[in-house]
Amino acid sequence: MENLEKMAWQWVSEKVENVDISSENYCKTRDVFQARLEKMTNDILQEKEIGENKAYIVAAIAGEVGNNSFDHNLGNWRDTPGVFFDYEYRNGGLIIALADRGQGIFATLKKVRPGLANDEEALKVAFTEVVSGRAPEIRGNGLKFVRENVKVENIHLDFYSGGAKAELNEDFKISEAENEVNGCLAIFRIKK
Amino acid sequence: MRIELKKFGEFLTSRPAGKEAFLAMSAYLTKGLSEEEIIEIDFSGVKVLTPSWGDEIITKIVKKFKNVKFMNVENPTVKATLKTLRKYSGISHESPPF
Repeated sequence: MENLEKMAWQWVSEKVENVDISSENYCKTRDVFQARLEKMTNDILQEKEIGENKAYIVAAIAGEVGNNSFDHNLGNWRDTPGVFFDYEYRNGGLIIALADRGQGIFATLKKVRPGLANDEEALKVAFTEVVSGRAPEIRGNGLKFVRENVKVENIHLDFYSGGAKAELNEDFKISEAENEVNGCLAIFRIKK
Repeated sequence: MRIELKKFGEFLTSRPAGKEAFLAMSAYLTKGLSEEEIIEIDFSGVKVLTPSWGDEIITKIVKKFKNVKFMNVENPTVKATLKTLRKYSGISHESPPF
C-alpha cells in the first residue's frame, strides 16, 4: 500500500489519542475542507496531469464525498470531528484520499431503513437508491452522482465503511472489506 | 430576472452553502416575483457545481417558478449536476439543453 493510502487508513483506524489532527490533511470544519478542495482543484489545473473538464468533475465528486461526512455526522462524530483529505500525483494520474471518523453508512441509513441487515447492504443502498439518513429532508442524490461520474470519467473508487467495501469503476461491486473502517474511507484513482 | 450563480461563488458544492444562497436570493432577488416571471439561471463563471448545492437552489427555483431557463451550461459539472437533479430530484424541467 502506498503512503497516502496508509496515512488515510491509519487516520481512520487509530485510537483517538493517536489521531494526527495537526497535519495539513486534517480538515476540522467544512470551511477548511472547502478551501482545500479549491486549492486542490487549482493545483490540478496547473499541473495539467489530467484535463480541465475532468479536473472539475473530480472536484465535484470529491466535494460530494467530503461534504457528506459533515452532513451526516454533524453533532454525532464518534470522537474526532472533520475529515482527512489529501492527494498526490502518481504514475501520471492522481490519487485522492478522504476519510472520516463518523457513524458510517450502516448506522446512518439504519435510522431510515430499519430493515438493513449489514454494512454491505447499506453501501449498496447508499450508492443505488435515493435515500438519506437525514429524512424527512428530501436529499440523497450525492452518491448516485458520484457513482455515475466515476463511471463516465473512468475513475476507480474504493469506498469503505464498517466491514464493507464498494468498488466503483465501470462496474459496481460490494464485498467484505479486508479491514474494518469505523466511519468512511474513500480512495479515488484518477487516470489522465 | 437573471440570476448569475457566479455571484455566489465559483465552487458551489455544499448543501449549507446552497441553503444560505437560496435564502439570500429569496430576500434580495426573487422576493415578490410572480410564479409566471421568466427566471434565467446563468451558470457562466461557475467552475464546480454539485447536486447538493444545486438541489438547494435549482430544484427549489424550478418548483417555484413556471418559466425557468438555463443559460451557459457548458461546464461539465453543471451538465452532470443538471442531469442528476433531473433524474433524482424530481425536476421535470425540459428547457434546453436538458
